[in-house]
Amino acid sequence: MKGTYLGEFEELVLLTVASLANEAYAVVVKKEVEKNADRKVNISAIHSSLYRLEDKGFLSSEFGGATQKRGGKQKRFFKVTSAGFATLQQSKDLKEQLWKNIPQLSFSH
Amino acid sequence: MTRSSDHSTPPRLGTYLLKKIYSEELFGEISGDLEEIYQEQVAEKGRFIASCNYLVDAVLSIRNYDLRRRKKITQNNSIAMFKNYFKITLRTISKNKVYSGLNIMGLALGIAAFIFILQYVTYENSYDKFHSNHENTYRVLYKVYRGEDLQIDCAAAVPRVGPFMKEKMPEVEAFARAFPVSGVMSTDNTKFREDRIHIADPDFLNIFDYSVVEGDKNNLLTEPNQVVLTSEMAEKYFGSTDVIGKTITFNSWLKLPLEITGVTENVPNNSHFKYDFLISYETLNNETRQDDGSSNSETAWGWYDFNTYVQLKDGADPKAFDEKFEEVLYEERGEIFEKYNFKAEFPLQPITDIHLYSNLLQESEPEEQGDGDAVFFLSIIAFFILVIAWINYINLSTARAMERAKEVGIRKTMGAYKKQLVYQFLSEALLLNFFALIIGLLIVVLGIRYFNQLTNSLLSTDFLVSTEFWLTAIGVFFAGVALSGLYPAFVLSSFKPVAVLKGKLQGQKAGKGLRRSLVTFQFAASVTLIAGTLIVYQQLQHMNTVDLGFDMTNTLVIKGPQSLESDSIYQTKLQTFKSQMLNIPGVDQITASSNVPGDEIFWTNGIRKWEDPDSQNNTIYIAGIDHDYFPTFDIKMVAGRNYDKSFTTDTGAVILNKAAVKLLGYESPAEAVNQKVRFWNNPKTIIGVVDDYQQMSAKSEVAPIVLPLVKAPSGFFTLSLTTDNYQQVLNQAQQTFTAFFPRDPYDYFFIDEFFNRQYANERTFSRVFTLFAIFGVVVACLGLFGLSSFTALQRTKEIGIRKALGASLRGIVMLLSKEFIILIAISNLIAWPIIYLVMEQWLDNFATRISMPIWVFLFAGAMVMITALITVGYKTFRTAQSNPVKALRYE
Repeated sequence: MKGTYLGEFEELVLLTVASLANEAYAVVVKKEVEKNADRKVNISAIHSSLYRLEDKGFLSSEFGGATQKRGGKQKRFFKVTSAGFATLQQSKDLKEQLWKNIPQLSFSH
Repeated sequence: MTRSSDHSTPPRLGTYLLKKIYSEELFGEISGDLEEIYQEQVAEKGRFIASCNYLVDAVLSIRNYDLRRRKKITQNNSIAMFKNYFKITLRTISKNKVYSGLNIMGLALGIAAFIFILQYVTYENSYDKFHSNHENTYRVLYKVYRGEDLQIDCAAAVPRVGPFMKEKMPEVEAFARAFPVSGVMSTDNTKFREDRIHIADPDFLNIFDYSVVEGDKNNLLTEPNQVVLTSEMAEKYFGSTDVIGKTITFNSWLKLPLEITGVTENVPNNSHFKYDFLISYETLNNETRQDDGSSNSETAWGWYDFNTYVQLKDGADPKAFDEKFEEVLYEERGEIFEKYNFKAEFPLQPITDIHLYSNLLQESEPEEQGDGDAVFFLSIIAFFILVIAWINYINLSTARAMERAKEVGIRKTMGAYKKQLVYQFLSEALLLNFFALIIGLLIVVLGIRYFNQLTNSLLSTDFLVSTEFWLTAIGVFFAGVALSGLYPAFVLSSFKPVAVLKGKLQGQKAGKGLRRSLVTFQFAASVTLIAGTLIVYQQLQHMNTVDLGFDMTNTLVIKGPQSLESDSIYQTKLQTFKSQMLNIPGVDQITASSNVPGDEIFWTNGIRKWEDPDSQNNTIYIAGIDHDYFPTFDIKMVAGRNYDKSFTTDTGAVILNKAAVKLLGYESPAEAVNQKVRFWNNPKTIIGVVDDYQQMSAKSEVAPIVLPLVKAPSGFFTLSLTTDNYQQVLNQAQQTFTAFFPRDPYDYFFIDEFFNRQYANERTFSRVFTLFAIFGVVVACLGLFGLSSFTALQRTKEIGIRKALGASLRGIVMLLSKEFIILIAISNLIAWPIIYLVMEQWLDNFATRISMPIWVFLFAGAMVMITALITVGYKTFRTAQSNPVKALRYE
């Protein structure tokens, strides 16, 4: 299915949102990705992925509280939907399957 | 600073950008995210770095431009809309076949005329550009001043100047001279008279790119008695181009066997210099060798028959060169200049200017010289015709606005944007212009042969594969679409849908003023073209019929023999030849002379009153004649007498023309008679003065000529005939000629044809002018026809009511035509002063010119008026004639 394809970065974002439980909004996601993946990410890339994932139905969102730090603007909190979890699971299974197929020999050393 | 760091706001530019990038819905939350990061960074890294990062984030957000944006409905639809536009255009065309046909034909004719003229102009401008070195190659001119008075203005220079420039001026890379001669070329089997023979320096073929097809390119024309000929000549004399090493004999004042060392391709048509044979320059040097070993053809400073070309080094400035050379020349020649009270100049002329911008004595191909002004005029005419065609399109489209108004109204009601309607009408213009372009090209391809015949030009359809042409064509095409399409597109698209659908537009005068001024412009242009054509034609007629001072009718000229044994033998032969020719029935008189009228005189010398000092010397043209010259040509003596066989002293006498009398400074011809002049360094008595007959065309002033009695002139035999049965005379003359001069070809011409060939250029010009004047008028009338029929159509109801109330047919036709009559009258008033100014200037180029014929103005105006009235009248008459009931029921 064309719409369900997950890019590498999208998968990373999706997993991060999942790990953050109910605290996932763009700024936090950015920090988490940078921390875990040890790479510099621009906020616009995070925005792009979050909204696209929501469009694909892997994320859902609701507005949360505003702080003064944000100039009084609301946060949008993201949650992984069941479709999102299913896709993540699929992707994990696929990778495990592939790992299994690698000849053991090369691992023994 | 009172504000704490918590309260600092991010740079406004960034926020502005975000607002532009994100939709309203997303802007709040996203800018909040960015601001949060900003505030954190202000605390950690300071305000400056935070601001920078904020800006970077904002700029990088551009990638999210289409995030959650509503897609525009039209985006995927535009191709379908354009398909619809084209469909509608095709339907409109087929619905109004007549008007679309008029529109397209007008445009097509305009485009065709434009392409024709463009090709003609391009060709005229292409002369001599095929030489790879044309930018550095110049012709050396020869100008002689006496005081301020320019006495000789000649295209051919003197033999010495070429080598002298090369010696003294480091800028000169190479020079080459070419001395034109004519004579009879003969092989064992064939003999022909050839006029395009030049005696040329070896570098001639290096400076110019006439490609050598046989022979060693770097080793041609180096030795005496060598010749290079064109492949056409090789075929003519030997039947093949494999002629290296063969011999051809040149018979003229020198009789020489020449060895063929090279063959070149034929000279391209767009070369100002044309040759069939090139004889090595050393040949001439041998002939003119003096006792001291030097040659006249290397050292002479006064023999101005040598076309001299120099090639300058890259970047040399001809102006600076001329100035510098003037000083160098003065060092060498100053003494002579002072002694004889004259000054010679040798200015450089770019070879690419020769064809169009040079009209000097002794041009290489005088009949072929183009006229830069004429070419410029033509370019303007081409442009005008195109503009007239575009105006037609504008006029017809806006006039038809009423008809399209409903369509516009409905489209707008259905939600069409104004922009879309503009596109629609522009694409309509695009399609019509495209059809017109195709038809125009078709007209050109089919008509180019006739165009060439009519204008004596050599255009080909090769231009269809040249990139330059297509660039121009595409440029003109899009200019046409834009110019003719934009105005109607905006007028049509700006109608108010409600007004239109209620039918209220009828009262509006959409673009009426513009339409009127455009029609006026069209007809002003037409009147100008017609009047211009008529004036050109009148002037040509005038030159053909002007009293030339000699009799052109029934005058046959036979070219004289070139293969002469010796002067004395020829002299005795000549007497018997002449009397035998007189025995042919129909031959009235015969004369032998060195020149005939219409043949440019190359023979000059100095002349002055016997008592005058050296410094008063004048240059005069010489035509050697016998006793019968004046009676044969019927040239009038204005004072004194003709040469007489009974006066043996006549060998010491001369006859002058009136211009020469004036040149020498005598008060009147009568006073000059019996005066002594110094001529050929001998005292000569003036025994007679002849009227100023036209030696050359009526374009130029009559030159001063001395006509000395020559013992045995061999240039031409002129026969005045009393019969119209030319064939018989020609046959008998041929028999006699071949009996006397068996080694010469028998060539003849009639003097009127020969003389009038000098006007060939003007005649071509007038034909081209006429052709395009017709083009212009036809295109303008097409437009007028369309326009008037629409006016009539629009006023159908009015006419119906008028008729029902008893208006006469004539009254209605008058009513409908009145508007156009006024417009044409105004356009006449605009055109007349323009014609007057332009044509007055053109006429001033001629030595004998007509005075501005006022009737031409009225005639051109009347012609345009009548054509327009017929055009308008046809449609209005039919409308006026129709049954009023029909007219009133038409809706």
